[in-house]
Amino acid sequence: MALEGEAGTPPVRLPRRGRARPDVTTPTLLGLPVAWLVVFFVVPIAIVAAYSFDVYSLFPGKHGFTLAAWREFVHSSVYLALFWKSAKMSLIVSAVVVALAYPLAYYLALSGTKRKYVLLLLLIAPFLTSYLLRVLAWKVILGNQGVLNTFLFWTGVRSRDHPLSQLLYSRFAVMLVLAYVWLPFVALPIFVSLDGLDRRLLEAASDLGASRWQAFRRVTLPLSVPGVAAAFLFVFIPTLGEFITPSLVGGASGYMYGNQIVDLFGTGFPDWETGSVLAIFLLGVVTVLTAVFARLLQVRQVTAD
Amino acid sequence: MNVALSKNGARLLRAFFAFVVVFLYAPIAILLIFSFNDSDLPAFPLSGFTLHWYHQFLTNADLRGALETSAIVAALSSIGAVVLGVLASIALVRRRFAGKAAVSALLLSPLVIPYVVFGVSLLLLFHRVGIPRSVLTVVIGHIVISLPYTILVLVPRLEQIDVSLEEAAYDLGASRLRTFRSITLPLILPAVLSAFLIAFTTSFDEYAVASFVVGPRATFPIFLYSALRFPSQLPQVIAVAVVVIVLSLVVVVAAELGRRIAERRLGGLES
Repeated sequence: MALEGEAGTPPVRLPRRGRARPDVTTPTLLGLPVAWLVVFFVVPIAIVAAYSFDVYSLFPGKHGFTLAAWREFVHSSVYLALFWKSAKMSLIVSAVVVALAYPLAYYLALSGTKRKYVLLLLLIAPFLTSYLLRVLAWKVILGNQGVLNTFLFWTGVRSRDHPLSQLLYSRFAVMLVLAYVWLPFVALPIFVSLDGLDRRLLEAASDLGASRWQAFRRVTLPLSVPGVAAAFLFVFIPTLGEFITPSLVGGASGYMYGNQIVDLFGTGFPDWETGSVLAIFLLGVVTVLTAVFARLLQVRQVTAD
Repeated sequence: MNVALSKNGARLLRAFFAFVVVFLYAPIAILLIFSFNDSDLPAFPLSGFTLHWYHQFLTNADLRGALETSAIVAALSSIGAVVLGVLASIALVRRRFAGKAAVSALLLSPLVIPYVVFGVSLLLLFHRVGIPRSVLTVVIGHIVISLPYTILVLVPRLEQIDVSLEEAAYDLGASRLRTFRSITLPLILPAVLSAFLIAFTTSFDEYAVASFVVGPRATFPIFLYSALRFPSQLPQVIAVAVVVIVLSLVVVVAAELGRRIAERRLGGLES
């Protein structure tokens, strides 16, 4: 319906001569989107920073700039240890997921299959359905009285008194579910970089006597590094601050840095100052990572030309 | 001969691909099976077929309210994000101005912020300014999250469009606004629609940010999360899950088909 409008050009009405045509200036275009992000994105982060320095506080009374909460954060082994634990978990998840997604993307992009876009859609579609519900599915599967355990009882593989009890509410469960949730998404950037690969480079390598394995290692793999790096970052950043999955399937041992932030702003024993320090620290790490990756990728692009 | 893959390599990768697809869809299939299972607990052995859980959630007023709230939030925030996204994308593609790199970095930066940090930030902003949490505060947050996605969809499409089409309209006396309405908008309409769809689904499924700024009216993910903590509600929630997952899969496939048809039609126009 609406698309038909493009084919038949609407009749152009010529304006009366001399009438000024209103122009749209660049500030008019950019004003609203930029203002929105400044007011509802940049300023709020600045407010969190202000809380972390105790310029603002949850409690009434006189407050001034202090580094106390930051000092405490750096010296307390609890928060930093929790951060390293979360970082390790997301690192493993991101690495595993990228390693699994690479052959999938490679198959779609380079096997010459005619249905590559249909298969790509098949792979990505689960990512576009509800996140919470995909986590729920694993909660149903992994529980002590869950689908997997009761299936094992039912088939007699395990006795009812000895369920596989480490499945749910563990670090393993968190990492399994995060990998499950992110796997479809990660295939996309890798696929894009492999699909854009100039096949003639591979033909040239083959003509010059390179085996498929050599061509992969010396041509395909280096050229797909930007896609792989982007994919890695796209999983690592959200999983590093993750709190939903660990709170649903993690239990005590799957507790992550993100959960700590939520709890510090929670209704139990709120400590907004410490919570703000944790939030700003996480944001700083993510910003540095993003900047470093962006720089590395840009340098690669320049040298590739 | 395929220079990238041997025959056996392709066979191996195809098997691996099939294995991963099974891994991805098996949990969804399990939900589907147990949504029809006549038992309070999702466990083997299966104990009979029932539509009870579907019936129960259809009559659940809280759930219906939450779906309604989410529909409102998603509609408002996706319209907002698309309008802001169109404005920003036109500026980024068609205009030259100082500090363009910085502006585009700002516009895309919500992509890389951990949602827990953004949620906390919004919470503190609304607390400082004294704005009570409500449906509107969730909408505000979701516009920020969705805006970069709409820009990522719109910018490539705008870049494809021949500028001379717009210049011709302008030379023929159309104002910038009229040029936009009659030339640019129809040409980017497929991208606008997919930007809208992405923003809508992002908002509809968003829990992390909403959990910090939601008011007394729960959105659908907020409702789901709290329902997950009551085992008695589990079978009902599974039935909801099946409906939502199947519906969103249908929407995804339909959108992809629509995009292809639209691109085929537009294909002749640009070349």
